[in-house]
Amino acid sequence: MADYNIEKLKFLVIDDDQNMRRLVSTILISLGVKDVSTARSVDAGYTMLQKFEADIVICDLRMEPQDGIEFTDMIRNSDDSPNCYVPIIMLTGHAEKTVVELARDAGVHEFLAKPVSAKKLFQKIKSIIENPRVFVRTPEYFGPDRRRRQDPDFKGPERRKPHS
Amino acid sequence: MSDEKLEVINPPNALKQKVGTGGPGAVDLEALERAEQVIVGMTDSYLEWVIEDLKKIEAAYQKLAAASGDRKEEMDGVFQISHDIKGQGGSFGYDMMTAIGNELCRLIERADKIGPDEVQAVKIHIDSMKLVIADDMKGHGGKAGEEILAGLQKICDKLIS
Repeated sequence: MADYNIEKLKFLVIDDDQNMRRLVSTILISLGVKDVSTARSVDAGYTMLQKFEADIVICDLRMEPQDGIEFTDMIRNSDDSPNCYVPIIMLTGHAEKTVVELARDAGVHEFLAKPVSAKKLFQKIKSIIENPRVFVRTPEYFGPDRRRRQDPDFKGPERRKPHS
Repeated sequence: MSDEKLEVINPPNALKQKVGTGGPGAVDLEALERAEQVIVGMTDSYLEWVIEDLKKIEAAYQKLAAASGDRKEEMDGVFQISHDIKGQGGSFGYDMMTAIGNELCRLIERADKIGPDEVQAVKIHIDSMKLVIADDMKGHGGKAGEEILAGLQKICDKLIS
């Protein structure tokens, strides 16, 4: 595992469970992060991002009244989005495929299954650092490229060449 | 979909400028271990949180037990707290709380109906959670933990099959 120094990165943690906000913030601070903000709802998190320039957002999937998928959709597609490219790590209690697919299709970068640990969280942060994703825009989708791996058996047209 | 309808964008990469490698403050294996120990140090806080969650889930259960009709709203109340308990336990070494929370969430999500058997099953799960905390059963709870979990899985499998 590369020894990254992440103390200059700014994180926003959005979770309606106060204890999870405390836990994730404590882990980040333990890893050297100096600037962590938290929000208890999608609405509060979205508003906070207008002023707080987070480098990475960690957002719970299951929240009410709006959930992590709706947050991701707002960030990626709203006209007033503060940063439509911000990497999002989605905290999930669900490992169910359909839910993960919905979140992926909304434009999530990484999934972190609860229960959270320092090692698991850092692994996801490291993945975002090491694998910057190109974004794609189609009539149906805007977000990080969902085709993450090179598929030697891919027979379709190669359309993922960034515009220079 | 035609090629013209797909635009590929290289977003600005702010992380590259901000993240360093090596030196003081770098996250090496020792730093990760220290961070894990910080979580262990939060165990007393966790026990306070989970005792509050157990009070809340008991109250949600009482509402469920007293309800009639489809009981969906009352069951949602139980599910939310169970989901929180499931999400936290393992972080603090209480893997049994995560496992029991997972079984309870599975039951609630997959049960076709919410009748007396399902309500009783909810109570058994909540009582098991209370037992884990009262007996301070850390990790997977050894032989006793295995037996508790096997019993709960059997109940769930019967009700959702």
